[in-house]
Amino acid sequence: MTTPILSIGAPGFDVAQLVADLQAAVDRKLADGVYADARVARAEHTNLVNLRGSDDFIGFYLTCLREAVFIDISDYEIHERRRVLGPLLIAFKKVVWNLLKFYTYRLWSQQNQVNGLIVTALEGMEDQTARKLAALEQRVAELEARNPGHGS
Amino acid sequence: MAPERLAFVCPRYAGGGAVGGAETLLKNLAIRAARLGFAVDFLTTCAQNHHTWENTLPPQQVARDGMNVHFFPVDERDAPEYLRLQQAIDRGRELTLEEETRWLRNGVTSGPLMDHLARHAPSYRAIITGPYLFGLAWFAAMAHPDRTLLVPCLHDEPFARLAVMRQLFNAVAGCLFNANAERELAVELFAFPDERARVVGMGLDPFTADPAAFAARHGLTAPYVLYSGRREPLKGTPLLCDYVHAFRQRTRRDIKLVLTGSGPIEAPPALRPHLLDAGFVSEQEKHEAMAGAAAFVHPSINESFGIVLLEAFLAGTPGLVHAQSRVLVEQCHAAQAGLWFRHYPDFETQLAYLLDHPEARADLGKRGRDYVLREYAWPVIEQKFVSALDALLPVRSSPANNP
Repeated sequence: MTTPILSIGAPGFDVAQLVADLQAAVDRKLADGVYADARVARAEHTNLVNLRGSDDFIGFYLTCLREAVFIDISDYEIHERRRVLGPLLIAFKKVVWNLLKFYTYRLWSQQNQVNGLIVTALEGMEDQTARKLAALEQRVAELEARNPGHGS
Repeated sequence: MAPERLAFVCPRYAGGGAVGGAETLLKNLAIRAARLGFAVDFLTTCAQNHHTWENTLPPQQVARDGMNVHFFPVDERDAPEYLRLQQAIDRGRELTLEEETRWLRNGVTSGPLMDHLARHAPSYRAIITGPYLFGLAWFAAMAHPDRTLLVPCLHDEPFARLAVMRQLFNAVAGCLFNANAERELAVELFAFPDERARVVGMGLDPFTADPAAFAARHGLTAPYVLYSGRREPLKGTPLLCDYVHAFRQRTRRDIKLVLTGSGPIEAPPALRPHLLDAGFVSEQEKHEAMAGAAAFVHPSINESFGIVLLEAFLAGTPGLVHAQSRVLVEQCHAAQAGLWFRHYPDFETQLAYLLDHPEARADLGKRGRDYVLREYAWPVIEQKFVSALDALLPVRSSPANNP
């Protein structure tokens, strides 16, 4: 995190400036992909309705979704909190896990395919909408230029 | 000389389970008006639940809090029809004027209350009513608009865009807003003229609270963030639960979430062990919870005043509010006592900042307390209220004085 320009308590301090500094730091991190994280996307789903007006949000949300979409079943770590029997239980669970892989892998791979298709479709729709809007905006600008007395 | 009479009209009488901010505000304003020497009739309903509007209190007139409080029964209503129209409004469907009126009529209304107003309206200098979206307030205001001051508690929501609301704002003698941001919203929505608008709000009694008491009582050893009030999606509580859960997961910091108030909590199961639902608590305990919190988080975007945020300021705790709430952002900015987040990444950064900078937290908290003591002391609010009354509804000469 970058240090805010103004320190609280300093003469001329303005909380709006502090918020702006913190938000600028967040925007840089967003651009760097720091928040491209399924957990962020999950936390954000209840906020989507509040952000309908934000131009950047759908793009950010899609980035998070892309990060989360292809689940790797192999990275599932087996933990055990009981100390005495822990290693034995982990070994047992690993055996069960491996025995079930034949069945679970098939389900996971099918789910991954569906997830991937949904994200691709969403990205395509967003891209298509953005291009259509850009074309329309250009057309409006051309029409306004042709008839300067009309429009706002 | 007989004192001037004021009528306050409100769907519920705050207290005993009714905890709406608007009801609390109207009740407190009425009590203060009574203390200022006005003869106050508080006209309300026998209902306590704002979902069912069931008549649970007996119809009666009682002397309470220095006022005459009249409880009138709620009219029969077609609840399914109300919900059907409410959903249509929520989804942005355009209703006819007749449908909008039907929505108001099937919300909460009281024929006996309207009869009382019809009989006594000429004796009231002002009828002060709100919030704007309840049928009871709407019909009371439209029956006597020339002597009605509306306390709208206006939010930027689909109901505010109904044609009947434009009629209401156009008709009343004036509006008592809670914040400048609310007044600006009325200007945007209804071109509401400045000469009929005043910002009054509500006063807060100063208090001090031990910051360690709440944590000690509940065995909390980790820092916590707090939200107080109704727990429901419109207030943003599911969002707060999701955010705190993500914050714990991503930053690996042990922070707890404390909620006080009523309503169900929708929280991720993994957050449950780190969530303290204190439920209804006494004012003293709420103030202690506020004083000990790392931040008071207000995730609602539909607020017209934010009483609990100001209480948290008074407890010396900074606010963390949703950037989409113009009123809460205005309070944080005016007090220089809170930050506002647009989305989760902002929330994570700002909460981490507050946790990592206890001196900044203390300074923001001090600014908040000073602000509330300065701007929301009751004498200040009483002065604003009387000035608004004099400006919007000057004393008329009684018919007996007219030749």
